[in-house]
Amino acid sequence: MSGEHPTRAEDFDLYALGALDDAERLAFESHVGSCADCTEKLAAARGRMAILAFAATPVAPSPGVKESLMRQVIASAEGPGGSVARVQPDPAGAGGVFARWWAMLLPVAGAFALATILLWLHNEQLDRQLADLHNTIAQQKQELAETRHQADLIAARETLVIPLSAQKGAPEDHPEGHARVLYNAKEGMMTYDGWLPAAPADKSYQLWLVPTNGAPISAGVFNPQNGEMSHMMMKLPAGVTAKEFAVSLEPAGGMPHPTGPMILLGPIT
Amino acid sequence: MVTAEKRAELKATDAALIDRIVQRDESALAALYDRYASILSSVLNRILRDTQAAEEILQDIFYQLWRNAGQFDSSRGSLSGWLLVIARNRAISRLRRHNPASGEELGENTVVVASNLESSVAQQQLMAKVKSALGNLPKEQRAAIELAYFEGLTHSEIAQRTGDPLGTVKTRLRSAVETLKRDLHP
Repeated sequence: MSGEHPTRAEDFDLYALGALDDAERLAFESHVGSCADCTEKLAAARGRMAILAFAATPVAPSPGVKESLMRQVIASAEGPGGSVARVQPDPAGAGGVFARWWAMLLPVAGAFALATILLWLHNEQLDRQLADLHNTIAQQKQELAETRHQADLIAARETLVIPLSAQKGAPEDHPEGHARVLYNAKEGMMTYDGWLPAAPADKSYQLWLVPTNGAPISAGVFNPQNGEMSHMMMKLPAGVTAKEFAVSLEPAGGMPHPTGPMILLGPIT
Repeated sequence: MVTAEKRAELKATDAALIDRIVQRDESALAALYDRYASILSSVLNRILRDTQAAEEILQDIFYQLWRNAGQFDSSRGSLSGWLLVIARNRAISRLRRHNPASGEELGENTVVVASNLESSVAQQQLMAKVKSALGNLPKEQRAAIELAYFEGLTHSEIAQRTGDPLGTVKTRLRSAVETLKRDLHP
């Protein structure tokens, strides 16, 4: 065959199979290497013989091979030279490249999860603080509004200041105290500021507006602590004109109508 | 569950995956590994009968692919064929204590496989076809072809191994490759 085309088509297959002995092989190679047509035929013959691999009993490689391969690839990318340093397969033989990725990602994912939890907790804390601040602001706004109302009430020309005091001849066991009511009939507003000792455990003080016509109207129930002033502001029913204000001692929680002794009284003069 | 990315890789052609390897895309190498590692492992284990040696060669082949993917010209030959040829050559060289055979470079050893082996289904079908074709060969022819393919024996070595005349071995092998060519590549 030296220098000539192989005489038989099977020669290509036998060469590809590696079955030719040295002399035949060398003769074949001496020609094929320089013949484009034979090179093409040889490529096809190699393909025909290559598929005989499918006659082998299937044996799947252990997952560790892929894992080791991917580690090697990464190592070659990171280091100079790209040498074929053997990376021992994972003895556990499990995981593959995904296990490697997981191994790399797991600490990151763990840290990320921890950071997320901490941020979430911090966010919750901030939300609570923000809600508290909103409540405080709302409360302060309400107090400011009340203060402004009081200031407006006091400043108003038609506002009456009505001192409340103990009635003359009140029994000695009645609590002693003093108070004042700012009353603005035009605006239908009133405020109460006063001092009274703490009420007995089963009692409450109750402020009454006594109208010019009709029964006293409750203007609020209060239980002052020892030594502290009581402050109340209230809107009065429309069309009601007061003739006096009074504080009585009532059963705890107050009553619809006065039932107890009048402790303080302040007529409008 | 197969992800969309995994499905895309399953559909990608060998040539497309090679292009991605050239761009240093590790996942493309992993995809090719998934595609061909089993058949390569099978032939390596059949030849070497040594799992560790087979796995070392398997890894080396894919690492070579990673390093030299740019040399592969998919218009000239098939990657599956190259992988199968290289796996067999490496295993036989190891078996026979030879240095790796020459012509292993991706750009040198052109192999054209008529079948598209990019899907596992195609590989399964080809496996059945090859086993059937080999099974239909006369016993002596089949033995001769297996000695040549899986043990890397030449005509003379087969004759020496079996005790058959060299001419008989040559005839058997020639008849076997003719029959296989007819049955597998009609």
